[in-house]
Amino acid sequence: MADLIELVEVSASYGRIEALSGVSLKVSEGKVVALLGANGAGKSTTLNVISGIVPATKGDIRFRGKSIRRLGSDKIVGAGISQVPEGREVFRDMSVHENLLIGAQLRNDRAGIERDIEIMAGHFPVLSKRFKQMAGTMSGGEQQMLLIARALMARPKLLMLDEPSLGLSPLLVQQIFDIIVKLHREEKLTLLIVEQNAAVALAVSDYAYILENGEIAVEGRSADLAHDDSVRNAYLGT
Amino acid sequence: MELEVLSLFLQQGIASGLVTGSIYALLALAIVIVFRTTDVANFAEGEVYMASAYLAFFLIAIVSMPFWIAVPATVFAVLIGASLFQRVVLTQVAAAKGVSVNLVIATLGLSYVLKGIVRATGFGDTPRSFPSVMGEGSVTLGSASLTYLDLTILGAALAIMAVFFWMFNYTKIGRAMRAVGMNRRASQLVGINLGHVQMLVWGLSGAISAVAAILIAPKLLMTADMGVVVTLAFAAAIIGGFTSLPGAVVGGFIIGITENLVGLFVSSRAINVAPFVVIMLVLIFMPQGLFGGKVRVRKV
Ligand SMILES: Nc1ncnc2c1ncn2[C@@H]1O[C@H](COP(=O)(O)OP(=O)(O)O)[C@@H](O)[C@H]1O
Ligand SMILES: [Mg+2]
Repeated sequence: MADLIELVEVSASYGRIEALSGVSLKVSEGKVVALLGANGAGKSTTLNVISGIVPATKGDIRFRGKSIRRLGSDKIVGAGISQVPEGREVFRDMSVHENLLIGAQLRNDRAGIERDIEIMAGHFPVLSKRFKQMAGTMSGGEQQMLLIARALMARPKLLMLDEPSLGLSPLLVQQIFDIIVKLHREEKLTLLIVEQNAAVALAVSDYAYILENGEIAVEGRSADLAHDDSVRNAYLGT
Repeated sequence: MELEVLSLFLQQGIASGLVTGSIYALLALAIVIVFRTTDVANFAEGEVYMASAYLAFFLIAIVSMPFWIAVPATVFAVLIGASLFQRVVLTQVAAAKGVSVNLVIATLGLSYVLKGIVRATGFGDTPRSFPSVMGEGSVTLGSASLTYLDLTILGAALAIMAVFFWMFNYTKIGRAMRAVGMNRRASQLVGINLGHVQMLVWGLSGAISAVAAILIAPKLLMTADMGVVVTLAFAAAIIGGFTSLPGAVVGGFIIGITENLVGLFVSSRAINVAPFVVIMLVLIFMPQGLFGGKVRVRKV
């Protein structure tokens, strides 16, 4: 199937510190790809380079065959790439409802936006009961769900999730991944999932990359990696 | 003091305080929206206000432009000027070395430039009176009396605030402005163009400052130093918590009313000190300002 997004030899740095050096990866349309690696490996940087928040110093990023490397972050969202950032970055002093509305900031189809809010309420029943509540007063798990719903409000083709399981109880992690998988199946959403929780991520993905110090160290089909003892010992800590 | 006089002073003090307070409130709003969305305390606010008054004066008295053209022309020119300052100067300064002190220094630079320009034209050499289009006359409310000009100032300022609050709270662009004030990165991730919003906010802040200047100018003698009143707008903003828009408005009215009451009840010489006593009291008893909200502990 066609590649939805492709990174070709992408490098990025913060000042003098090179965070990514020559990272190449691709996500085919309709697939789920996991990006794994230890803390500080460059996973978030990879997503932020795709989102246009951190500039790529070298290489190219192609979305549906066209380079998006020099596009602004707003244009990238407009093109169909949304990110669920790590760290519970909801708009704290806005209501849940307004957080959803602002997810659709680039859309102008009022009726469609209203309908999608209903759909989100269906996917995330906890949110539907709290539309008027300020987002900052919700629990970690609820904020994580709101972030996913907010990203979906932009109607992305590619959804990137940055450590959706971080800091959540196993039960909540299970709930969130169930929803993610359901979205993937029902809406044909292509997913790029960043995780430190490799077991969960490998279980739901088709293909996986393991980042080490800003470089892709291992890649392969998720099912293979999950059963490869050397990979498990070296990278997955199991 | 007799009860009747007391009541008269009180009513007049509050009425006049609302008029001057509405100008402080507008200027405080201009300061607060810029601070919230771009993290810059605009130390050129006073000079933007001063230069706006002179521009309107120049268009009306020298170019002989009709008032109803000169006013929107001034507001529009200041809006564009402030936007360009953000776009051209501040983004460059931030890109060169993203230290927020440098941004503040850039606004200080702007204040010198604006003062310099007004001085260079020669208009600032002697105090000028701004032409008023309001008829003479006054209205009595209770035992307080306000001139037509006073009522126009208060009415126009309140109308501007109402429109601004509506825009900020109920429109898409207002939502984007609030979002940028809360979380820059999250704003970018939902597709908000940070640069556009920040430029627009500077432009709006300039436009509000220009309106404030044009409203109050007929009551003042204009000089190149008239921007110092913005100290009181900063005081209003601080009282309101420095990031709250309702706080800025309430702060503005508190300062205006305090000044007028102190002038009537204590002495006109005490007027200058009064706002700072209010700031100190607020900061001692409510360190976050009246609308500053609670200190936030980040959940990990
Ligand atoms: N804003 C930043 N400024 C400077 N260095 C950063 C910044 N963000 C990340 N880094 C550094 O870049 C490297 C990769 O970070 P990151 O992409 O966040 O890793 P991961 O998401 O895999 O934990 C780390 O060494 C980290 O310290
Ligand atoms: Mg990370």
